[in-house]
Amino acid sequence: MSFLKFILKNPFRRKNSAILAIFGICIGIIVIVALGGITSGLVSTFEDTIHAGGADFSISGKETGNSAYGTNTISANWTNIIANVSGVEEVYPIYVVLTSIGDDYMNTLIGINPNGTSMADLGIVEGRIFTDNASEVIIGKVYAKDKNLSVGDSIKIKGENFKVVGIYETGNSNMAGAVFTSITKVGDLMDDKDSISNLYVKVKKGEDPKTVADRIDKLYGENITTVSSVMEMQQMATMLNSLQAASWGISLLAIVVGGLGIINTMLMSVFERTREIGVLKAVGWSNRKILTMIVGESLVITILSAIIGSVIGVAACLLLCPMIGLTPVFNVETFVQAFGIAIIVGIIGGLYPASKAVKLPPTEALRYE
Amino acid sequence: MSNIVEINNLVKSYENGHIKALNGIDLTIEEGEFVSIIGPSGSGKSTLLNMLGALDSPDSGSINVAGYDLSSSKDLNKFRAQKIGFVFQLHNLIPNLSVVENVEIPMFTSKMSNSEMRSKALTLLEGVGLKEKASQKPSKLSGGERQRVAIARALANNPSVILADEPTGSLDSKTSSKILKQLIDLHKKENVTLIIVTHDMNVAKLADRVIEVLDGKLVNAGDKSLENKIVVE
Ligand SMILES: Nc1ncnc2c1ncn2[C@@H]1O[C@H](COP(=O)(O)OP(=O)(O)O)[C@@H](O)[C@H]1O
Ligand SMILES: [Mg+2]
Repeated sequence: MSFLKFILKNPFRRKNSAILAIFGICIGIIVIVALGGITSGLVSTFEDTIHAGGADFSISGKETGNSAYGTNTISANWTNIIANVSGVEEVYPIYVVLTSIGDDYMNTLIGINPNGTSMADLGIVEGRIFTDNASEVIIGKVYAKDKNLSVGDSIKIKGENFKVVGIYETGNSNMAGAVFTSITKVGDLMDDKDSISNLYVKVKKGEDPKTVADRIDKLYGENITTVSSVMEMQQMATMLNSLQAASWGISLLAIVVGGLGIINTMLMSVFERTREIGVLKAVGWSNRKILTMIVGESLVITILSAIIGSVIGVAACLLLCPMIGLTPVFNVETFVQAFGIAIIVGIIGGLYPASKAVKLPPTEALRYE
Repeated sequence: MSNIVEINNLVKSYENGHIKALNGIDLTIEEGEFVSIIGPSGSGKSTLLNMLGALDSPDSGSINVAGYDLSSSKDLNKFRAQKIGFVFQLHNLIPNLSVVENVEIPMFTSKMSNSEMRSKALTLLEGVGLKEKASQKPSKLSGGERQRVAIARALANNPSVILADEPTGSLDSKTSSKILKQLIDLHKKENVTLIIVTHDMNVAKLADRVIEVLDGKLVNAGDKSLENKIVVE
């Protein structure tokens, strides 16, 4: 028999007590794993939408209302005006027009500065970005599939031939089916160099986007409006962070409650096995070996709890999350957190009872009835 | 022959000195000797035996067993593991382990592999006639069989000294004599020093020497015959 097998045999001698301890720790682990799955699921959903390097907020004409991609226009001069507002790092205008594209009588053509595509949350997945003022477009992946277009094909826009040079992906559903070219080209095409639809604004490092947006609203609120959907997403991200913090809070609670539970279980177990521990000492077991045995038994209970809790947590998440339209994401960190906590609880919960067992004088232990 | 046990003026008290369990014991035991310790209940027999096995430490005096100075040495678990085999009145087997696993328990202190442990434990069980019960739980065994398992366990690490504290105290006389025969055979075959605490005079007189304890003192330590002994019962 190996020492490990001996340790594995002990915790389940009093099944009820062990099951109770497992139950207690399991609840903590389930919450941690489920919360981890939900949080990561939310994070990945929102990270799809707000790519790093994206704009902090956008600006549109007053009459456009809250739609960031309306077709109402504002004067191109706003680009320079907004760029001079303090706290603004970069401004990119976009020009959204409805025109004939390919076999569609009306579709959305968006003009943007080639350097501004990251702010518009466009990620090139194939080919390259268009060059300024060239008859080149990039098209959304959805659109490409729909129209059976690929890089190198050409497409007619308002009677003029354009070459598809790239395919992009975006988390922004408004733009998934659109066609992009340079804003200069759109100006040419529309014969209107003075109009733009929206401005994408990125604030300077260390500036609060909300403060900068409020500043713009205060200065030019009569004519333009800031659209903060991007900021709201960031506030969402902040909320997710607090969800993650809550998960750590619950972990701490699980450590305390689970720790007390396991201490209680192990103390009872040590107490009931007083004679047996006396025998182990009599046959020459060192204090260290006895300590290892008790802490090992405690770890068996907590690690088993972590396994059961993880399985239940994942199962519950997979079952319940789709009901609220969320796809849970389980990453390694969540399980590292769950098992880490189980191991910490196992060690601290086992150490005190183990020290009790070690301190027991063997003669007392053997006299114990 | 050299002495395996040397005790000088050994004192041990409990309850803050109110109970003098051992009150100045002087005793030497030769290697390979079979000694029985008798005396009334509460006279200090178990305390003396526990001292010999380093389960307890003396208040004063010196005690030397198998080359270890037990009043100062710190390596006592090693001493217990390598030199001593205990047999208690109650078998003290671990209930959730099989018979053979119980015999393996002391071997965890050695560097033996799992398979070496198993084969040695089976050999020891064969020696006490219980090989066929190796995989059973102790609860399935009779009292005498359990005590034989305890003897096999005591022999696990080839001890120099076997300390038996009323090993037959909870058994009927027929089973008792069987157990004793086994212990004595062992002592003869392996030349193990055997020290048995008992209140059974029939058991005591089988020994090379009978030591009598009364109120924590030896009243008779060297007599090899029972003829001129005060029998306390
Ligand atoms: N661990 C202990 N704590 C307190 N008193 C003890 C302890 N061990 C033994 N004694 C006391 O010491 C005396 C001798 O006990 P013991 O050696 O067990 O006697 P015996 O084995 O001869 O019956 C008794 O009075 C007993 O109550
Ligand atoms: Mg006794």
